[in-house]
Amino acid sequence: MSYVPGQPVTAVVQRVEIHKLRQGENLILGFSIGGGIDQDPAQNPFSEDKTDKGIYVTRVSEGGPAEVAGLQIGDKIMQVNGWDMTMVTHDQARKRLTKRSEEVVRLLVTRQGLQKAVQQSMLA
Amino acid sequence: MSQGAMPQPGGWPGAGGPEGPNVEAEPVSPGRGKAVERQDSRAGPVAPGDPGSCPSRGHSGEQEEDIYRDEDEIKKEKELLVRERGLSEPKLSVAPEMDIMDYCKKEWRGNTQMAKRMKKGYEEVSQKFTSIRRVRGDNYCALRATLFQAMSQSTDLPIWLKNQDIMLLPEELISRYNWIKQWKLGLKFDGKGQDLGDKIKESLALLRKKWAGLTAMRTAEERQVACDELFRNEEEEYSLYEAVKFLMLSKAIQLYNDKEKGKEVPFFSVLLFARDTSGDPAQLLRNHLNQVGHSGGLEQVEMFLLAYAVHHTIQVYRLSKYNTEEFITSYPTDPPKDWPVVTLIAEDDRHYNIPVRVCEETSL
Repeated sequence: MSYVPGQPVTAVVQRVEIHKLRQGENLILGFSIGGGIDQDPAQNPFSEDKTDKGIYVTRVSEGGPAEVAGLQIGDKIMQVNGWDMTMVTHDQARKRLTKRSEEVVRLLVTRQGLQKAVQQSMLA
Repeated sequence: MSQGAMPQPGGWPGAGGPEGPNVEAEPVSPGRGKAVERQDSRAGPVAPGDPGSCPSRGHSGEQEEDIYRDEDEIKKEKELLVRERGLSEPKLSVAPEMDIMDYCKKEWRGNTQMAKRMKKGYEEVSQKFTSIRRVRGDNYCALRATLFQAMSQSTDLPIWLKNQDIMLLPEELISRYNWIKQWKLGLKFDGKGQDLGDKIKESLALLRKKWAGLTAMRTAEERQVACDELFRNEEEEYSLYEAVKFLMLSKAIQLYNDKEKGKEVPFFSVLLFARDTSGDPAQLLRNHLNQVGHSGGLEQVEMFLLAYAVHHTIQVYRLSKYNTEEFITSYPTDPPKDWPVVTLIAEDDRHYNIPVRVCEETSL
């Protein structure tokens, strides 16, 4: 999502509720993240704006909890259980997603496909 | 030119500074003093260090180096040499990226303990950083590496630099402390007869102008190119170092005065002024800061001063300390959360290079 000063910011968000899967001692979510304010944003293949330091979904394990919940590769994670994820380091993001005390994480994500679909339906 | 990967701070959770005694695993060559921040109470005066010279290359192992290489290796080496000569016309003070393990293999042949430790150290760095940029080794390298990293990753002009009062600092301090006139300007500016206060003020203004220019850039690529442009071994680059050194002196004066008044000061400043050669800021200038860029680089304790001067946390992979707690040393040890982090690599605490990272990916 690019920000143009003076223009209203539109965001199309999707809610994704992931029920973590217990594997031995670990609770896994079944996806990978990239990005963070401490990372190099130019390397992110999913962001439109190459200065976007947000957290992106880089991989989704087949049949895993994330896929089942509807998370998609390329999704940008805006919030996790109410916690902001747009201005965090890579490690902070990891921590917020892997709290042992939380078996369910509710994500707020934006997805480019969604964005475009809404824009197109508004034009129609 | 770098390929778009931008030097970024490392994100090591829980990276601590040196805790407990400084265990020297290798004999230190004569004249290399070190000052390490200690938490215990037996901190006496630290032996004054001879800043020594700043070698720009690591050293291959001594006696045990295998000097008989096979045909393939010799051929590869020749190709590498030809390529290097073509590539590195040393105009850039910070060389283009090179794969970090390739760099390691080139620098550390042989099987000495040192070589093994270096290889392991580089391997560990390579988990987070895929490339390395060599920094010109002329006794400014600590300042150069830190400033380059800080400026190339900045998205906002630092508050302390935005502050208008910073321009009044040179005049204010020089009028209050006459000994500052003993400041030794860099070789590029020596003997030009310019008033010291004016020169420093000019340098600070340049620092602010360049930093602001970089933060105004929209993409990381643009910023990287502009930063490379700035660090081209020209007068501008060296002017920045005058500014940074001045900020270090200013911070040292502030800490010294605070301590004299009985205020709480960060521990490194106690060590800084506990040295025989720098009992006060005037001595610090004469015996240490004036040497930086000429006959010596920064001592360990002065790395803390640098960090405080530019309000950045400097995280260093100290390869000679591989497998010890000090492998990743943070200056300062317990940094304020809002300070940006820059990451450097040092094989031997004498020369600093810059690691370049690629995007980190974590599976959950």
